[in-house]
Amino acid sequence: MWTYAEIEPVDDLRGFQRTLAEVVAEGGSEAPRRICELCVVALPVTGAAITVMTGPDHQSPVWASDAVSARIDELQFRLAEGPCVEAFVSGRPVLIADIAAVDFPEWPVFAAAAARETPARGMFVWPLRAGDTHVGVLDFYRDRPGPLDADAVARAEQAADAAFWSLLGLRRRHTLDAVGTPVGDDPANEEDDGADPHGWLAGAPLERREVYQATGMLIAALGLGPDAALARLRAHAFVHDSTVDEVAREIVARRLRLDPERP
Amino acid sequence: MSEASRPDRAAALVETFARLAGALTVDRDPVDMLDGLACDCVSLFAVDAAGLLFGDRRGTFHVVASSDERPGLVDLLEMQVEHGPGADCLRTGAPTSAPDLEDHETGRRWPVFAARAVAEGFRATHTVPMRLPTRTVGALNLLGAEAGHLPADDLRAAQALADTATVGLLGERTAGSGAAVLDRLRTILAGRMAVEQAKGILAERGDLDVADAFVRLRDHARRTGRRLTDLAGLVVDGTVDAATVVGGDQA
Repeated sequence: MWTYAEIEPVDDLRGFQRTLAEVVAEGGSEAPRRICELCVVALPVTGAAITVMTGPDHQSPVWASDAVSARIDELQFRLAEGPCVEAFVSGRPVLIADIAAVDFPEWPVFAAAAARETPARGMFVWPLRAGDTHVGVLDFYRDRPGPLDADAVARAEQAADAAFWSLLGLRRRHTLDAVGTPVGDDPANEEDDGADPHGWLAGAPLERREVYQATGMLIAALGLGPDAALARLRAHAFVHDSTVDEVAREIVARRLRLDPERP
Repeated sequence: MSEASRPDRAAALVETFARLAGALTVDRDPVDMLDGLACDCVSLFAVDAAGLLFGDRRGTFHVVASSDERPGLVDLLEMQVEHGPGADCLRTGAPTSAPDLEDHETGRRWPVFAARAVAEGFRATHTVPMRLPTRTVGALNLLGAEAGHLPADDLRAAQALADTATVGLLGERTAGSGAAVLDRLRTILAGRMAVEQAKGILAERGDLDVADAFVRLRDHARRTGRRLTDLAGLVVDGTVDAATVVGGDQA
């Protein structure tokens, strides 16, 4: 559970980012849970959930912070409509100040059911994606109506980015232990390129070549696997307010050596 | 770079096509094949460097092979197709030359690229598109240390080589399906990036620069009869010990 020391750094956006970065860098099957719990503490929302999606009607819940979040997701996926589906398909956030206030012509059945069966009023969904790679959604609900303020939106975007990277790492290992739901039976995940033995390049948007050179150097220097090495590089960029490209360049030029212990 | 006499040049061109066709027939590693083609272009034409680029899903072009691996050249090649004369080539689908990177007009259009190219020792650039019937998927860039146009024959030959390579790598297997082309491009690009990762591993373990690391990797692949990108994958997952590749032993 969160100690005071873990909660304190979320007071400002930078601290929040840093904490997310540490979660991403550590990786593992606990990362989605930790990201959701961090969001519930650091954002003005009541609940948070992360769901893996491989299609609009193909999803696997990863973590839900409470029963209401779980119910909201379950309704959407059973009905095959709703803000999560729309966010996944469109690749854009769907932000609803009050699910009970107006009609939603895109998802009338879901809206009515959610208003009737759950205490949720505000619903805010971010797709987890980079470029063409869509892996799922991060969604929040709030038990009172009203839009999210700009700071909350900024935090949610950071959290969505972190959730994307943490899920990408998990998908390649073909397990999602958080809720005991196995993922990775999708044959698309099993491509064996020879050149890309972990399939890690398959899901991710292409970076500049220095980034791959730098992850190679981290693999050798820190004894990490490819996913962890890239996550480590990203975490360093997050924490030092730099970009992945810049950090990679510094590593390849041997002006920067990463500490095995900390981002 | 002086040009060979016509019969020699014709023979060299035939030889290059034969190598390219042969590589395609035996399904040689695309990255390795294009690496060879880039080096052949420097021998064949009055240029001093060459690079082949393919586009990813987002429309960003990445160098898949170049006549030399130094980072300055790779960056320049990638800049060329984004903020240089190569961008015109990709947009129009037609060969494009900037025969004098120090002239006023060129400098005005692409100030950053022109300055960088001159700093890297180049005065001229020529780009031919790598094309499928429905789209341009990449570019062959040629860079010259001296200003000047490429002879029309050279441009025609370069285009033919580029077309052969493109159709050979992408056209046959995909039967024109756009999604299949993208998939094949992704595989080729992913192979290149696996090579980059392996370079990083070898550079770190062997205390080399990444250009030297590439040479060790390529040499080891040839010596052991492995595909370049396969070997890269094996270095990345640890199946092949980096020390073996760095040390130049057989394994």
